Amino acid sequence: MKKVRIIARLDVKPPYIVKPIHFDGLRKVGDPEEMALKYYDQGADEICYIDIVASLYRREILYEYIEKVAKNILAPFCVGGGVQTTDDFSKLFHHGADKVVINTYALQENSEVIDKAATIFGSQAVVVHIEAKRWDRWWECYSDCGRIRSNKDVIQWAKEVESRGAGEILVSSVGNDGTERGFDIELVGEIVSNVNIPVIAGSGAGSLEDIKDAIVKAKPDAVAVATLLHYNINTIGDIKKHLHDNGVEVSL
Amino acid sequence: MKTVVGLVNYGVAGNIFSMKKALEISGATVKIVETCKDFSNIDKIVLPGVGSFNDAMEEIENDGIKEVLIEMVNTKHTLGICLGMQILVNVGFEFFETKGLGILEGESRKLNVSYKIPHIGWTNIEVARECPLFRDINENDSYYFIHSLEVVKSPGVIAFSRYNDYRFVSGIHDGNGVFGLQFHPEKSREQGIRILRNFINL
Repeated sequence: MKKVRIIARLDVKPPYIVKPIHFDGLRKVGDPEEMALKYYDQGADEICYIDIVASLYRREILYEYIEKVAKNILAPFCVGGGVQTTDDFSKLFHHGADKVVINTYALQENSEVIDKAATIFGSQAVVVHIEAKRWDRWWECYSDCGRIRSNKDVIQWAKEVESRGAGEILVSSVGNDGTERGFDIELVGEIVSNVNIPVIAGSGAGSLEDIKDAIVKAKPDAVAVATLLHYNINTIGDIKKHLHDNGVEVSL
Repeated sequence: MKTVVGLVNYGVAGNIFSMKKALEISGATVKIVETCKDFSNIDKIVLPGVGSFNDAMEEIENDGIKEVLIEMVNTKHTLGICLGMQILVNVGFEFFETKGLGILEGESRKLNVSYKIPHIGWTNIEVARECPLFRDINENDSYYFIHSLEVVKSPGVIAFSRYNDYRFVSGIHDGNGVFGLQFHPEKSREQGIRILRNFINL
């Protein structure tokens, strides 16, 4: 049986972790360094840090904040936000990232950066973030924190990034995000069944049951949790125990 | 005197930061090795693991350190991690056939599974042969794996692990001073540090 990874997700607008409400308003919820360490101590399988405004503001990646978080964490650390070139990947690795997350630039400008990064750093180091908006009969890829449309079909894009060498896909749903109504299970399930690389269900956990349901129904390889942790509703330990008690394998 | 570990940087791809940090936490002084002269005054060698097989070998060739590296590995305790373990063997087949360092018998191949690749996750190790690296480890502890490759045809297996039901080699040893680990001790919490400490204290 496969073990599902539980990832603590930090959406950051340096110097704060923020909580996007429908990807629009941002509420400050804490300090990235402190909270990353807290989730690490709770037993998070990975920490995922995304600077959610870097692409939108077209500004440089703020490495010093990333390095501060990385220095305390002896577990995998996945970093994204504002990534454009293989040079950005390289710098992020040298500032403590183990995997790099890319969305906007690959989706809207040049998807070949995925191929290049996979060749240089290995597929395992390249994570593509897909922000999906549900329409009547399809999901559309968005970028810049759910603000910019692409006209690209999520499932097609997922297959494309896999063929370009991405090693993992992080899925967030625009609309469900920040609203705590649960995952878009159908979306995650569609992506899982269409690609042969690990998929992380990335947003919308509103309760322990939500997480269990998403795993049982959509079969992602990992789940990224933010709100439940940030507001101290549950710990990583609570999540793992609930999953374990319900027959989902996790690393304890 | 602290043990000085030479951490070999294969150029652009190596994740030096986390490895350096973990080695320092484990009690070593770290010296980054990029050219032949950097090999002076080091006690042990670590080959880190981010990148692809052929890129790493190409960097090592281009930096002109291959011969010195092989000579050093043969005389100093060496730990290859993930990709760093893969390149210790004779030959790799990641994208195309590439010669490895040839320190240990074996081949590096894509994981022979129908599951998703890369294999990413925390899992435990099953010690196949006693080894000083595994001194005082707890058998229930999990370690972090992220890899698309596996070592096969190696006579020096010290540990196996499982990806779902598939059993693969997670540790190799040449019987002397050269070790390879498929998982990332530097990313595996306190249990990973214990293994690094065992290596440093050899």
